[in-house]
Amino acid sequence: MTSPISANIRSLTLTLALAFLVTSIGAAYWTVLASDQLANDPFNPRLIAATNDRPRGAIVDRNGSPVATSEKAAAGFIRSYKDRTLAQVVGYASPKFGLSGVEAAYADSLIGQDPADPVSIWKARYLGDRAPAGQVLLGIDLKIQKAAADALGGRKGAIVALDPRTGAILASVSVPSYDANQVVDPSKQDAAFDQLSHSPDHALLNRVAQGLYPPGSIFKVVTGAAALENGFDPTKKLRVDDPYQADKSWGDYFVRSASHAHGLFDMSDGFRLSENIYFAQVGLQIGAAKLTDYAKRFGIGSTPNLDLPAAKGQLSDSGSIDRPTLLADTSYGQGELLVSPLQMALIYATIANGGVMPTAHYATEVRDADGHVVRQIAPGPQGQVISPNTAKTLTTMLVGAVSGPGAFAFGAKIPGVNVAGKTGTAENRPGEAPHGWFVGFAPAENPTVVVAVIVENTAEGGVTAAPLGGQVMRAALGK
Amino acid sequence: MEITFAVLLWGVRILFLVLLYLFLIRVFSSLQRALATENTIAARPTGLAHLVVQRTVRGAFRVGDRLPLRAVNGLGRDAGNDIVINDEAASAKHALVEFADGEWWVEDAGSTNGTVVNGEVVRSRERLQYGDELAIGRVALRLEQ
Amino acid sequence: MIHAQAAVPLGRGRFTELSLLIWVATLAITGFVAVLATETSSFRPTAVVVPAVFLALMLSLHVFLVGIRFRGDQILLPIAAGLTAIGLVLVQRLASDLLLQQLSWSIIAAGAFAATIVVPRDLTALARFKWTWALLGLLLLIAPLLPVIGREINGARIWIKVGPGSIEPWEAVKILLVIFFAAYLEEYREVLSHAQRRIGPFPVPPVPYLVPIVAMWGIAMLVMVFEKDMGATVLFFGIFLAMLFLATGEAFYAIIGLGLLILGGIVAYQLFGHVQARVDTWLRPFDEDLRFGTGYQLVQGLYALANGGLIGVGLGNGMPDRIPIVWSDFVFDAFAEEAGLAGAIALLALYLVFLYRSPASRFPSLPTAARRL
Repeated sequence: MTSPISANIRSLTLTLALAFLVTSIGAAYWTVLASDQLANDPFNPRLIAATNDRPRGAIVDRNGSPVATSEKAAAGFIRSYKDRTLAQVVGYASPKFGLSGVEAAYADSLIGQDPADPVSIWKARYLGDRAPAGQVLLGIDLKIQKAAADALGGRKGAIVALDPRTGAILASVSVPSYDANQVVDPSKQDAAFDQLSHSPDHALLNRVAQGLYPPGSIFKVVTGAAALENGFDPTKKLRVDDPYQADKSWGDYFVRSASHAHGLFDMSDGFRLSENIYFAQVGLQIGAAKLTDYAKRFGIGSTPNLDLPAAKGQLSDSGSIDRPTLLADTSYGQGELLVSPLQMALIYATIANGGVMPTAHYATEVRDADGHVVRQIAPGPQGQVISPNTAKTLTTMLVGAVSGPGAFAFGAKIPGVNVAGKTGTAENRPGEAPHGWFVGFAPAENPTVVVAVIVENTAEGGVTAAPLGGQVMRAALGK
Repeated sequence: MEITFAVLLWGVRILFLVLLYLFLIRVFSSLQRALATENTIAARPTGLAHLVVQRTVRGAFRVGDRLPLRAVNGLGRDAGNDIVINDEAASAKHALVEFADGEWWVEDAGSTNGTVVNGEVVRSRERLQYGDELAIGRVALRLEQ
Repeated sequence: MIHAQAAVPLGRGRFTELSLLIWVATLAITGFVAVLATETSSFRPTAVVVPAVFLALMLSLHVFLVGIRFRGDQILLPIAAGLTAIGLVLVQRLASDLLLQQLSWSIIAAGAFAATIVVPRDLTALARFKWTWALLGLLLLIAPLLPVIGREINGARIWIKVGPGSIEPWEAVKILLVIFFAAYLEEYREVLSHAQRRIGPFPVPPVPYLVPIVAMWGIAMLVMVFEKDMGATVLFFGIFLAMLFLATGEAFYAIIGLGLLILGGIVAYQLFGHVQARVDTWLRPFDEDLRFGTGYQLVQGLYALANGGLIGVGLGNGMPDRIPIVWSDFVFDAFAEEAGLAGAIALLALYLVFLYRSPASRFPSLPTAARRL
């Protein structure tokens, strides 16, 4: 029997009403739920248009020295960037290519609409009455920044220095860098941006937080921490005979010692002489589950909480350690591990800070046009990762790794100061020179600075990196 | 805060939204009232209005008969109609009188001799007003409340 | 009973309509004041004349309906007037040079409205010439593809050249095809819904009656592939399926039709670059390689929506002009930026009441119901 048309009309009306409901939900999603994210999207023209006809707020270092200011130009205001070594951190504010770096992350603060100042936001949004822009204060200290940039020289790589007590980043160098002034100069921007975005060197990339490298021996503190917290006796001597394999099932696979060592090693020796075979055995003894647990606690494989974009790295390609050879390799920092310099700096900051991991941040303060503080940026710690005792034991061993007899990281020594640290020589793709790492902190008894250094593709590996770390720490400690 | 032009303008902008919603609320309340009315009408079985017999033939109605109307009424010679018209000049299914959209309508159901309103032949569907005279065969009916 | 008796609007004034129209007038005036106060520099006399003429037009339609003692619905006209008023405010906001043009369309529409009431409704004539309408619609539909008169604008070949300008025949095609569908389905309604055979739950009508359904699908696909207009494809086929459902009550026709559409879409996605680009843009407009290319307009639209928030930044206070061709393609986004989610939902609600009210007036004939689609 044919259903009456009025019934069909009712069904159709209901269907269309449902379609309207779906449309409303879509509208609600984009206008309200996705609003914050899209409003601060670096390519949203509303952020840059607010400062077409008025100066954008300045970005200054911790002592108030400007690193980015707005200058009056023929057509409106144009950004001027003072420090090329901070290019990837400060970023750019381009009407054409959008925003990046601190310019993007603190875009609302730099147009006088900091989230901590709802009255200014309300007045700007609804009355078009915009407050004069204030300043964003960075944790960067230009003196330490210069030391870091000088230390790295022209070599590709990155250096980050941070205060382990607060997580404030004191210096952040990523080489190669670029001149952000060209990106905001209307006459040069197209050529400059085109060249930058196609450069094989990835100059736009902030290697400190977004560069991912195999860690090599600097990762051994994670294996050490996992062992110490699981009843492993650090004074117990293990036999090291190069080359090493746990049993015949490994076939022709061996763990190699950098110094072709034969003998008995305890954990201090392991750190001082950076003995791979020692840590491979430690890893095999504590097992994959414990090592995975500690790697995750230290933030490997998860994006660090940072006010700028950051990469998360990985424990392994699959995310888990599923075979003994991978466990052995991961235990001394190879295998399929990938980390950023910032992640490593945070792991050592945790040890320096009595086991509490700080939260890294580039900016420390937002001020209004009159210089009053609108907002302090002081994210609290991430939490207790290892016990204070473990942190203390590791610190002692890391001091030994810098100043003990035959220590690999001797290049980081500072006269009159106890430095704790570790070098790493990270094996790379076959045929490429290894990356050289150093991560350390000082003064060991009461650390105020952590430094992570990576020099890409250097034949001497960690030996190259350690003195660079020493120079930066010296600048930070005023020595 | 001092009352500036900007603040006034903001007030006007907010007023627009407020008015939009007041309008919407009025639309909804009007809709509700209209629906209530229509549902009441639809629920009433008879007595919406009447067709009053004006002219008739032997065997059909008597002049002055008041025939109650439902919402939809079939008219014709066939016994299945709501209003049976006992006249050879009327077709079996002759016409349809219905109440829709707040008004009365007449529709010819394909009759042989046609349906006539106030002397004019209904082509497809015509509106009926109270007092209109509807002729089917030799019977004439007037729409009354 | 007594209450209902009193509420039946027979022969008295159309007070509901009048009071709703007064609300529309207040709304329109407030909207124009908000927009004009923001852009005092670019003031033109049309900004005052046009709303005034529009309101006078709506009032005269009301007086006309009262005059002829029209006893029909009193809500539809005010909703249509309200939506048109918002439309005029937005045209003033986004493309004030088009305001006069918009008004002239409103006048034509008002005339057509009055005409449908005065002119006797002889729907049989429309039904009798259904094949003529179909042919005419089809001709107009393929006209943009013809070499001399067809035009491609912004990547869609849906325009034909007329004198110095160009028109989109699609708008006329919509109405012609709806008339044809209605007449066709009215005639074959019984056959289509009394399918003798069923395969599982699927009705299988006699093959000859299926031909038009498949033909419609084929035409829709042609429009998508050659005229590069995905919107028209979906709308065209959607109207057809909706009417097929109205006539037969067979949800399975609609489901099969949707299936065919999706199937055709997937095949076209694989074969044709422009279909692929359109779908990719819709799925992930923020992709690095799309956001400055084909996704640019969409992304700018989403920024506008995001700036809207709950109550919007206020009429005249947003930046919808950053969306390319905003006045034609993204008016809803512009409104949502300046009136917020609140405004957008109110707008949708008005459309919904309009939709609900139309078929709810219970005209029993299919062409009438269809016309309201």
